[in-house]
Amino acid sequence: MSDDEFRALAEEQSALRRVAMLVAHGVPPGEVFAAVTEEVARLFSVVYAGLGRYQPDGTVTAVAGSGKRGDEIRVGQRFELGGRNINTLVFETGRAARIDSYGGTSGPLSAVARQYELGSGVGTPVIVEGRLWGLMGIYTTLEEPLPADAEVRLASFTELLATAIANAESRAALAQLAEEQAALRRVATLVARGVPPEEVFAAVIEEVGRLLPVDLANMCRYEPDGTITFVATWGKGSERFPVGSRWPLGGENLGTLVFETGRPVRIDSYADASGPLSATARGRGLRSAVATPIIVDGHLWGMMGAGTSLEEPLPPDIEPRLASLTELVAMAIGNAESRAELQASRARIVAAGDEIRRQIERDLHDGSQQQLVSLMLELRAAEATEQCEQCELQVHLERTQQGLAGVLDALRETARGIHPVILSKAGLGPAFKALARRSALPVELDLRAERRLPEPVEVAAYYVVSEALTNATKHAQASVVTVELDAQDSILQLVIRDDGLGGADPAQGSGLVGLADRIEALGGHLEINSPAGRGTSLSIEIPVESPNLA
Amino acid sequence: MPSLSGATETGPATRVAVADDDVLLREGLASLFDRSGFEVVGQAGDGTELLNLVRSTRPELAVIDIRMPPRHSTEGLEAAQVIRQELPDTAIVLLSAHIEVEEAMELLAGGERLGYLLKSRVTDVAEFIGTIRTIVAGGSVVDPSLVQELVRARRRRDPLDALSPREREVLALMAEGASNAGIAERIFVSEGTVEKHVRSILIKLDLPESGSDHRRVLAVLRFLEAR
Repeated sequence: MSDDEFRALAEEQSALRRVAMLVAHGVPPGEVFAAVTEEVARLFSVVYAGLGRYQPDGTVTAVAGSGKRGDEIRVGQRFELGGRNINTLVFETGRAARIDSYGGTSGPLSAVARQYELGSGVGTPVIVEGRLWGLMGIYTTLEEPLPADAEVRLASFTELLATAIANAESRAALAQLAEEQAALRRVATLVARGVPPEEVFAAVIEEVGRLLPVDLANMCRYEPDGTITFVATWGKGSERFPVGSRWPLGGENLGTLVFETGRPVRIDSYADASGPLSATARGRGLRSAVATPIIVDGHLWGMMGAGTSLEEPLPPDIEPRLASLTELVAMAIGNAESRAELQASRARIVAAGDEIRRQIERDLHDGSQQQLVSLMLELRAAEATEQCEQCELQVHLERTQQGLAGVLDALRETARGIHPVILSKAGLGPAFKALARRSALPVELDLRAERRLPEPVEVAAYYVVSEALTNATKHAQASVVTVELDAQDSILQLVIRDDGLGGADPAQGSGLVGLADRIEALGGHLEINSPAGRGTSLSIEIPVESPNLA
Repeated sequence: MPSLSGATETGPATRVAVADDDVLLREGLASLFDRSGFEVVGQAGDGTELLNLVRSTRPELAVIDIRMPPRHSTEGLEAAQVIRQELPDTAIVLLSAHIEVEEAMELLAGGERLGYLLKSRVTDVAEFIGTIRTIVAGGSVVDPSLVQELVRARRRRDPLDALSPREREVLALMAEGASNAGIAERIFVSEGTVEKHVRSILIKLDLPESGSDHRRVLAVLRFLEAR
């Protein structure tokens, strides 16, 4: 081996070692690409060493380049494959290719080669995990033919490149997976916490925008009138569709296609898209986009779409990634819908119960009581016709009437317990005063509620105070009960405190469990605080402007 | 023993209109009044009928059920207010299945010759007729059950604690609408003794001295409700 040959080999080995170090250190592929083309251009003393990546659409993109012509071929530039040239030969055969004279070449790329005065060239494929990723090419001018072993020597570099790319890809895939899992977990936590769907929508669309290589993301709901409403959007500035805006379906666009097929949809070019939605999308610079259906309890609820303004189509794995987030959204909507239904049905059950109580109260007062009074009047009339003060019949009649009077009193008390007429007539203030008067314990009232509230709210508040007074009297050995009511804002707040024994256990059967149900049915909640020896306090909050009351 | 007769010793029988949607009860009431020496000028089943009846017959007394058709809410009360406006001399007795303090005060604010009673009171005929006569004569009467509830209500710092048991008894009768003479009769003491009790109560509770029995009822009720 000559000194020159030895020196060349040593140089090549050290160049390979430098590249290998970069790969081992996991530097970003872009840096490795630039370093490799630079090393290769110097080592082979060529006018151009370039790295190209094959694209699915039959083009090749320049990803790095070095040498005298390195500045002329811009990174990111795309070239059509076809004809007889290095790029196309490597693409077609998957093997190294050589062209010693560009005289007989053809196709768009050979025109470029001639433009840059390239004479001969060698290309070797970059094969990443069995698939053809791209090629590394070296080119000379006509005067400088490439050595015979160029392919073999170049292959050592492309192998290193393939390793670097594979590493970077798996790292990226891992990172992407981890990020997606984290995003899914964040959204799932929101869903599990039962936050309002609008919050989930906003969070999801934010994650979609962050996770996927898109400029624009939308979540839409299909309306019964054949329109679509944007419920959440993500994007840069004015590119966004306004939340809450409605659009008619129709034409060739994501919203309409998902609606018609109920399946994921992809549009790789908005040039052919049609309908009002796509016109606006095009106006916002959208080039390619995908959408997946949001299916709630088996019916198509809406869709989630994401798009880019880049020329390059969205990667093929974008649909499944979008779909996994869409599933969470569907779950959130399903949960919220069943929760709302449950809430409404509880409210209906309570309201139906109240209506029955009102009916019973009326029946007792206007029916049974009235009949008893009539019967007693009959007895009085009978009495008046018999003018014997001492006779047996008179005594019986008198006793019967006394008994009936007792029944009447009992009946009145029962009716009052079933439904407090004063509450429907005059509201919480007078009703609480009446409860306080009838309580065996002194009751101090602090009432800030002049206005009338929805009936279910008033009834719930009334029963809570009634039950609390009963408990304080029966069990707490209290000396006074205070009742504070504040219903000036959109939430009714009621606090009932006694100074008794405390230690009340709401699980011990008391009527409080039923009351808690009643209050929760209205979207409110009841809290019991009863430390031993320090009295019992009940705090209640009920939203007054609850949609379920309508 | 008060006279059970609706007629005064010298004048003709008191003319009464009866309104209740329950026919059986209405008939019972009418027959009761009839037996007690009143002249029943007619019966009505709802507020409109009552107004027509009262306008055409001008009775001295209207006995009215509060809950009547069509809403079964406070139709009787509303009719009573119209009668009070159009024919203020007509004595009005409202009968109700239950008695509320707010309603009582609202009613009493409308003037004298008013009664607000539980429906079941009619079964104690002697007492009921006595009460009716008090009202026709210009008094105002509130159902004892309401007054009892107000007097018995417990307060932490209760001004009523300053009253003797006898004074409490007198206060309750004042609230029901009894005159001093009426109270004397009920608790078997002289009218002079009742006057002394009443003065003492008014001073202890810081209540205004008032000439008419009606205003006295209203003042005491207000005090009891607000205390």
